[in-house]
Amino acid sequence: MNIETFVQAFAEQFDEVPAVSFTPKTLFKENDEWSSMTALSVIAMVDENYGVRLTGDDVRKSSTVEDIYNIVLSKTNA
Amino acid sequence: MQFPVHKYGLIFRLVEENDAAFILSLRADPKLSKHLSATDNDLDKQIRWIRQYKQREAEGSEYYFLYTDRQNQPLGVFRLYNIANKTVTSGSWLSKPGNDEFTPIKADLFLTSLIFENLKFDKCFIDVRKDNKKLVRYHKMFFTVINEDHQNIYMFMDKESYQHKREFLTSIIEPQKQ
Repeated sequence: MNIETFVQAFAEQFDEVPAVSFTPKTLFKENDEWSSMTALSVIAMVDENYGVRLTGDDVRKSSTVEDIYNIVLSKTNA
Repeated sequence: MQFPVHKYGLIFRLVEENDAAFILSLRADPKLSKHLSATDNDLDKQIRWIRQYKQREAEGSEYYFLYTDRQNQPLGVFRLYNIANKTVTSGSWLSKPGNDEFTPIKADLFLTSLIFENLKFDKCFIDVRKDNKKLVRYHKMFFTVINEDHQNIYMFMDKESYQHKREFLTSIIEPQKQ
């Protein structure tokens, strides 16, 4: 698991924002496209790719893509 | 089931005439209405529509729900219609912009359990605009595609798929219950 691959997979959950504009520091909730559907897409992607179930609270307390990555990492290692 | 129902920190109840302005504000919202059939921005017309709907509600042929926060501030709506032979169609699923991102998910979880556990339907149908890509992606997680045309994708969910959906969504919004 590395952050570059994670950022790319995260970016693919957005339909209208170019993937190249995403970095680990991207404040994803500031994007107009962020919504409940995007949140669930991200959760489903993490579930499928990493076998980790994110919760609503995990997403709520995260601001950047890296925050989500770190939660996935901690749950993977748990 | 008696309404209002308190669940997931939200209050669910049937739509009333005095909800017309809120519903119209959702249906007229440029972002939300992108994937809806056109609605006249006419409050009197919306009130008349709800008045007619209340007759269908009394006949048991349609149910239009509104959910609020604990302070009774309206947050969103959804509707059940085409009720026949233990099947139902759900739609008109709208959530006020600015809501917590998991509020519509809580509402959807309530709606789905209402359909399969309280109202005892065997199947739920939906149709989703093809260009509403995220909603299509979301529903495809739990629904089975039956058909499509130039505009919509038609899907259904049975009880088995409902169980999968309930477990998945509950693990996100109420992980302590898993």
